[in-house]
Amino acid sequence: MTGAHLLLPVALLTLAGCADTGFLSGGWLSRRQASTGSLMGSEQRRDPALSGNGRLLASISERQGRSSVILQEQPSGRLLPLRHLRGHSPHRSPALSWNGRYLAVLMQQGMQTVAVVEDRLRGQLLRLPAPAGASVERLSLAPDGQTVALQLVQGGQQRVQVFDLSGLLEPDRAGGQRISDPPP
Amino acid sequence: MKLLAPALLATTLLTGCLGPMPIPRSGLNRQLEQAGGNRDPSLGLRWMALIQQRGGREQVQLLDLQRQLPIPVPGLNRPDALPISVSTDANGERLALVRQLGGRSEVVLYRRALQSLQLIPMASDSIPTQVSLRADGRQLAVQVSRNGLWQIDLVELP
Repeated sequence: MTGAHLLLPVALLTLAGCADTGFLSGGWLSRRQASTGSLMGSEQRRDPALSGNGRLLASISERQGRSSVILQEQPSGRLLPLRHLRGHSPHRSPALSWNGRYLAVLMQQGMQTVAVVEDRLRGQLLRLPAPAGASVERLSLAPDGQTVALQLVQGGQQRVQVFDLSGLLEPDRAGGQRISDPPP
Repeated sequence: MKLLAPALLATTLLTGCLGPMPIPRSGLNRQLEQAGGNRDPSLGLRWMALIQQRGGREQVQLLDLQRQLPIPVPGLNRPDALPISVSTDANGERLALVRQLGGRSEVVLYRRALQSLQLIPMASDSIPTQVSLRADGRQLAVQVSRNGLWQIDLVELP
């Protein structure tokens, strides 16, 4: 057995011991903690959502008992501004379209939780009213932004309803316009 | 006709005031309602994964939104596992799942074309609780509980 043959298993064992790698049948995969960017290390983060092109990560940051949606560039962790969502926390259940043009999230409006979509290209906010008598618990936005699914609680039962947004939002398709910061 | 005109006018005015509204996918929603309790929806382009209550237990279901039909996912659901969170890629080809099995939480990746289920190794000090699969299926964002804090791990997938 050559030196190289001996070194390979040692290298693999070393890799396996690291916290940032793992083996998946078919190849090694890398794992890392999402960059905290300018966030404090002790902040809690939950409800992750990636844009389809992988450039953006939306999540809920919990700080001093406040839950706010944040949008970060990957992998730098740079925070991107959100025009319409400040001041309407708590937020939860964010979702991003393919290029990150649309950020959908649940936010508090008075006594109600409402689903909204921020169009980061046009700087507009679209409100999606929940069906009467139902409260919204979670949402999912299709990668092209043309469909939204809401998890509702109505009459004590959890159910999912799907809505067509094609008359309201332009499609945000794979390979479409890349959006970093919204227009001034 | 005398009655129709004011009604039409009122509808037009109302629509004008409220602006365009999202349109419920009524047939699909009726079908979902008849199926019982549903939670944790995850949309692809023409697919939706969700956790559905069926026969007293929860299981992952994948729906074709165009044909409004469930798509078979053999090997994904185990009678002894409790699904916690599910996420699909844009094409409904890859599904990521957090499930509880034997008292432990784990992340698995299901590939529909291969009908294969693979364990995604997570750090030993992390308990996965929620998963979000990138639309191209190449990266996972996993919400984990680590040292009493919620954090997010990103996993690149081959």
